[in-house]
Amino acid sequence: MLIKTKQEIPSSEITPESVYVSRRKFMGQSASAAVLTGIAGSAFGLPENFVSEQGFVKGEPIGEKITPEEYATRYNNFYEFGTGKEDPSKKAHVLTTDPWSLEVSGRVGKPGKVDLEDILKEIDLEERIYRLRCVEAWSMVVPWIGFPVKKLLDRFEPLGDAKYVKFTTLYRPKEMPGIRSIFSSVDFPYVEGLRLDEANHPLAIFSIGMYGKILPNQNGAPFRLVVPWKYGFKSIKSIVKIELTEREPRTTWNKSAPHEYGFYANVNPNVDHPRWSQARERRLPTTIFGRTIETRMFNGYDEVASLYEGMNLKRKY
Amino acid sequence: MNADRRSRPGPRLAWLSTKTAKWSVGILLSIPFLLLLNDVRIDLVQPGAGLGPDPGEELVDRLGTWSIRVLYLTLLVSSVARIFKVPVLIQHRRTFGLWAFTYVVLHLAAYFTALAGFDFNVVLGDFSKRPYIIVGLSALCLLIPLAITSTRGWQRRLGLNWRRLHRIVYVAALLALVHLWMQEKASFFDTFLYGSILLVLFAERIFDAVRRMRKKSEAAQSVVRTT
Repeated sequence: MLIKTKQEIPSSEITPESVYVSRRKFMGQSASAAVLTGIAGSAFGLPENFVSEQGFVKGEPIGEKITPEEYATRYNNFYEFGTGKEDPSKKAHVLTTDPWSLEVSGRVGKPGKVDLEDILKEIDLEERIYRLRCVEAWSMVVPWIGFPVKKLLDRFEPLGDAKYVKFTTLYRPKEMPGIRSIFSSVDFPYVEGLRLDEANHPLAIFSIGMYGKILPNQNGAPFRLVVPWKYGFKSIKSIVKIELTEREPRTTWNKSAPHEYGFYANVNPNVDHPRWSQARERRLPTTIFGRTIETRMFNGYDEVASLYEGMNLKRKY
Repeated sequence: MNADRRSRPGPRLAWLSTKTAKWSVGILLSIPFLLLLNDVRIDLVQPGAGLGPDPGEELVDRLGTWSIRVLYLTLLVSSVARIFKVPVLIQHRRTFGLWAFTYVVLHLAAYFTALAGFDFNVVLGDFSKRPYIIVGLSALCLLIPLAITSTRGWQRRLGLNWRRLHRIVYVAALLALVHLWMQEKASFFDTFLYGSILLVLFAERIFDAVRRMRKKSEAAQSVVRTT
């Protein structure tokens, strides 16, 4: 009997590293060429099949219908690309996400810059099916792919006096028409923040993908935050900088309208936005006669309640 | 004012006062409404296809935009009539005004249906607590007497007071702008756009008033001189 041994790959067939690198370079070039010729959707930092190649742990279904992908990717608030809900999906394809590096600084033992792919090599990806409640009273259910925030922060060894985490979005006017607009009243770059214990909560994740694929640019490619118990604007997109601080960071919306957007911004049906009630939400997609559903405290993620024990959430909204 | 005599057109512009012209203006102003209605129809057949994933918000928003547009167009009619000396246009102002009122009412109706979901607690809460809604609602309330007295009969009955009453439209136009401005969150483009338009419309009226006052005083002076 002939036993077939596993054939070794002849070394002549292994792609030399130099070629591999130039392939990546080529991909980058073809991506920008695609942008120049106006073809949308191929300027990704991670290879398009990254998520399926790396694999991920499937998410637990939550008993609520997942929002169809076409809505989650075409109805976005990403003001760097314009204030219209469809502006990001129409304009974000020009964003260059390759290469992408992340700078971690502040109260950490090992500050530094890291390459996104280097981080991802060592991290197991998992899918999280989360409700996303926008402060504008609409909501979706999105299957994110990512990993807990804590896993990344720990690599930089936060110091004992680090109390807050400040996140900053990419600032690149050339590729972001919303920043260039003279009518914009938002102070870019976009900044968000969390208390360190909030960031370390297992529900808080960094996401690099959704719907089994890498993130489209309009959803915050290549790397974003997802904090499901807070209003959507806290889940900052396209992050380039993370800073651990002793003091509460000044965040973009809080600076722009402090009476409307607090630092905490926990989903709370009992605290109205000055212009509308937060008691109910429109689960998208809906119809004009569609019924709204009740908004739940912490967006239904009661396990985070202990983070806010003894706090007056009406004042610290 | 003797509007009829003033606005009798010369032969070249006679077609502007025909019934056909009036109907055309009405049909033109109804087009945004018909397009919206079609989108609602599409949306009811295939959710998301006509008005997007958040159709209630979209519907209220688009009706609001057309409210302010048609309202300002109404003010533009008088300005154009004065600047280009085509008083016949004034005959069409009522059609514009009534369509503006229609869009405002539809805007409110869409809010009731699609955003407040006919929930009277929500509506009462909004009407009592939310300044931008109170401002918008005030603008609508101010337009009600104007819509009612827009007929020829009321025009005749009120005489000079009709003009005085209808100056309320300027307050409503300003409130509409404030209503818009109070909702701007990240971009002041719309406030800037409609604000500039309103500024021009107001400026034209002030110039016109000053010019007429000057003419009057000149006439008075010449009377004094001749006596």
